[in-house]
Amino acid sequence: MAAPYRQDMPPAGGFESIKYKRNLPLRGPGAYAILGGVTAICAYGFYRLGQGNLERRELEREKVWTRIHLLPILMAEGDRDQYRRQQAAIAREKEIMKDVPGWEAGKSVYHNDRKHSPEVRIA
Amino acid sequence: MTTQYPRGTGFKCDFVDQTPMPADVPHVDELGVTSAPLKSAAFFLGSFCKDYNEDFMLCKSESRDPAHCLKEGRKVTRCAIDLINKMRENCGSEWDAHWECLDKRNQELYHCRQPERKLNECMFDKLGIKKVIPGTPEGRTPIHEKQSPIYKSIQK
Repeated sequence: MAAPYRQDMPPAGGFESIKYKRNLPLRGPGAYAILGGVTAICAYGFYRLGQGNLERRELEREKVWTRIHLLPILMAEGDRDQYRRQQAAIAREKEIMKDVPGWEAGKSVYHNDRKHSPEVRIA
Repeated sequence: MTTQYPRGTGFKCDFVDQTPMPADVPHVDELGVTSAPLKSAAFFLGSFCKDYNEDFMLCKSESRDPAHCLKEGRKVTRCAIDLINKMRENCGSEWDAHWECLDKRNQELYHCRQPERKLNECMFDKLGIKKVIPGTPEGRTPIHEKQSPIYKSIQK
């Protein structure tokens, strides 16, 4: 038995409108905004870098001056110790070389007046 | 340098010359201060003992012979001892705080600005010695007085 005839019709309220428009979501700031932003960030970074370089130079100067200020103190202490050891070395040399006529203990091996640090060190 | 390890401590010290200083050289106590306290006090030592230090360095430029500048050297050491005693009396706790910080922080001054400020303040109030870094460019804040420096310790 054939089905009763029924005309196919659009749904109630009609068809949806056809989506033919481009659907492009917002893509963030424009090219010039990004360029400007990057330039600004870089400029700030380079500024900080420059300030940091100046600061590092000052820190270095500070460190160097702590050493300059301490140098005389440390040198004086070292000199006293070196003098003490030098005198001991000369006394030792005199004792060892007492049988050698004409030996000058503690005489420099060079023919000039410049001061040389001792070649052999005994702490 | 002047450290002499006593015998019987297990340290091999056959090479330490134990000969005392000749008697004609007046005795002066050595400082006996380690590197961190010295670094902490460096600028105060530099300004407090300026005359003696410069005298000593001028003498050294005359001759490098260690025997040549013993007298000036003694003055330098006595002056340093004097200042260190004064610092201990007047700003002991501030000084301790600063040099202990330096000891912990690789002896970098920029890691220890907070204790340093307290120490500088105390030294200026009690002894009238101000920390001045020579050669700081005109019109710029000296690095140790900068409030928000770029180089600072990240860890508090």
